Amino acid sequence: MSLGALALLFDATLPLRLPTDRDYAEASAALRVRAGTADAIQLWPPWAERARLFVGSLPVRAEEDLRAADYPGVERLWLLSLPRVPHGRLGAAREALRQRGATPGEEIRLGALALEPWDLHGPRVLSFLTDPREEHEVDYVARPCTQVRIGRLPEPGRLLARGQGGALHVRAGVVGERAYQQSRGPVRLDVQVDGQPLAALAVPPTVPPESGWRKLDAAVPAGEHEFVFLVSARDVDRPFCVSAWTSDR
Amino acid sequence: MSRRLPLALAALTFAALFATQSGVGFVRDEGYYFEAAKSYEQWLQLLFRAPAAALRDTERYWSVNFEHPGLAKLLFAVSHLVFTTWLRWLPDALGWRVPGFVFAALLTYWLAVLGAERSRATAVLAPALFWAAERTFFHGHLACFDVPICALTAGVGVAWARAIGVLGAPAPTPRRHGVFLGGVFGCALAVKHNAWLLPPVLLVHGLLLPAPLRRRALFTLPWLLLGPVVLFVAWPLLWHQPARHVSDWISFHTHHVHYAWYYLGRELRGPPFPIFYPLVLLALVLPLPQVALFAAAGAKLLWDFAHRALSPLRLLELGLAGGAILPFMLRTTPVFGGIKHWLAFIALLSPEAAHLLARSAELAAGAGVPRLRALLVAAAAALLPGLWQIAHVHPYGTSAYGEIAGGIPGAASLGMQRQYWSNNVTAVLPWLNAHAPRGARVFFHEVNYESYRAYQQAGMLRPDIQYASGPGDAQYAAVQWHREFRDREPETWNAFGTRTPATGLYLDETPQVVVYARPGLPGAP
Repeated sequence: MSLGALALLFDATLPLRLPTDRDYAEASAALRVRAGTADAIQLWPPWAERARLFVGSLPVRAEEDLRAADYPGVERLWLLSLPRVPHGRLGAAREALRQRGATPGEEIRLGALALEPWDLHGPRVLSFLTDPREEHEVDYVARPCTQVRIGRLPEPGRLLARGQGGALHVRAGVVGERAYQQSRGPVRLDVQVDGQPLAALAVPPTVPPESGWRKLDAAVPAGEHEFVFLVSARDVDRPFCVSAWTSDR
Repeated sequence: MSRRLPLALAALTFAALFATQSGVGFVRDEGYYFEAAKSYEQWLQLLFRAPAAALRDTERYWSVNFEHPGLAKLLFAVSHLVFTTWLRWLPDALGWRVPGFVFAALLTYWLAVLGAERSRATAVLAPALFWAAERTFFHGHLACFDVPICALTAGVGVAWARAIGVLGAPAPTPRRHGVFLGGVFGCALAVKHNAWLLPPVLLVHGLLLPAPLRRRALFTLPWLLLGPVVLFVAWPLLWHQPARHVSDWISFHTHHVHYAWYYLGRELRGPPFPIFYPLVLLALVLPLPQVALFAAAGAKLLWDFAHRALSPLRLLELGLAGGAILPFMLRTTPVFGGIKHWLAFIALLSPEAAHLLARSAELAAGAGVPRLRALLVAAAAALLPGLWQIAHVHPYGTSAYGEIAGGIPGAASLGMQRQYWSNNVTAVLPWLNAHAPRGARVFFHEVNYESYRAYQQAGMLRPDIQYASGPGDAQYAAVQWHREFRDREPETWNAFGTRTPATGLYLDETPQVVVYARPGLPGAP
């Protein structure tokens, strides 16, 4: 009987732990007043995407690994969270942000929502080499990246960009479930700068918990350069996505 | 005990399902079964018009959905033919679904019969414990096979128990009970292949019985040979080239695809699956009191079995429950579909769980609380959370999670399958009907074409709204949240040029169906 009473107590109080439309409207208003152009919103838990109905003024991210996630061009991240939701693990999210060197500002409580600014202290972006407005899912997370056709050698898929040298960051992965098909071979991404090979990244089939969003970082001399990203594989019927930018460190 | 109480409970089940069916969306599988039932109905009409032609052309009409035996779909077709085509009493979908309600009522009846062996209170509580959860309640509404095979598993158990003389009055005419057993088993075979597991369970049960009963059980077993005859009769596809069709049927299931399934933060894509997956899933989706009672029932049956203190009937319930779930703990059997494939596990534990609940009320009565009051309080404590779950979540049954998971949002945080089968789309159809311009193209994502047509036939979706194959050629998109289909939402953003939903179905904050509209169209944000 006590189990029944406990269950009913949980059921009856669950709505009190969840935000209302009014909470979201207040969060949206707070962000309109406080947020800058280099800000973005990170939802927590990442599934709490009802927020997208209300907070369209800033880029919204639903990254799952806040320690490893890239936020290029984002100086301040607004952690919009549901602190009382069951199994929400907000503490772990905050700890992950701390581990990457981010520092929190003052938390604002808006009903069942919490809004907390985090200065990321990230590097300054010098050039976006792919369109940050285009997004695709890789490893179940929507990521700003540009879809590139995979070609068979000697005719690889090709993405051209011009931008400033500095620390080059390349991220790449196969979109959708085909990333997990183990019978397929790896996708190879070759990076050329001003016609010269710089580095290569292999994107093998994803075997969880290994991430399917592969990373390559390399140094490129200062000044403007032409970047070429060549994408090749034996089997080409997979959507492939590349994100690349340069930063000052 | 008279059959009046089980019959009354069965009627109540039918009425409850009938009264709450209107919002239940058409699940993906139903779309295929509706199409099959349409084809079989044409065959029935041909049978009445030109029997010889119908007997000759079985393959033409019965090849649709060859991978499942015919009985359930034949009943869907008969019901639609009678109540929709001839009498025009029911809309199409309801016409097809009525036999599902009948099977659900039969399940209630047989659980009540099993429960009644303990007490009148157990007879009422056994089916109540099974149905007082949104997952089971939801499945009771569908023109599918999961509740029918669950009901027939219980039915075979009751028929077997009667035939060997461990349930009800001693059989005056054993042959009648044997024929009934063979018939019910044949119906089970003709509904779903799970039934092939029943003879081994009954054989083991018979071998474990005391000598006189064992002898009777072993003499009863041959009646099961009627089963394949019923299967053959109820599945006209087998009437021509039976070997080929049986081979196709077996081949489909031995090579069944493993759909990706989200479980505790990881996608299960293929064997080996976690051994305790079915039990963990039950613990997470059912209301807390049922979890506790079913766990206690299973433990009590196992304990008594280990101590040789099980009556033949309780031994049978334990065997049937185990037979329903053990195949899904082999680590290789496909595990998609929530709990639907092992519903018989909790159904066959229900009488014992109900008995434990009634016993706890009696203990309270022994402490001075009036017996009826103690029973009512215990029943309320056990059933109210489940009734709350139904009131709160229905008709979105594939999304329901219990208190151990932390409800639906807790399950989302734990990384559990959000929904399946696309039926939740019913929540956004009224919005689409109200906003989409005439002839608008809508990307329905997981809703297959058959279900889309069924929504239009049922009047739930405007007939002019067109089915788009993807966001690229759509004006609106109703994207269903599935971990394995996460790529479709960013694809919609890129195609539509917006990341702001127009509306959606959010259950306790969790996105289930998210609707996007191209900017400038009615309803666009």
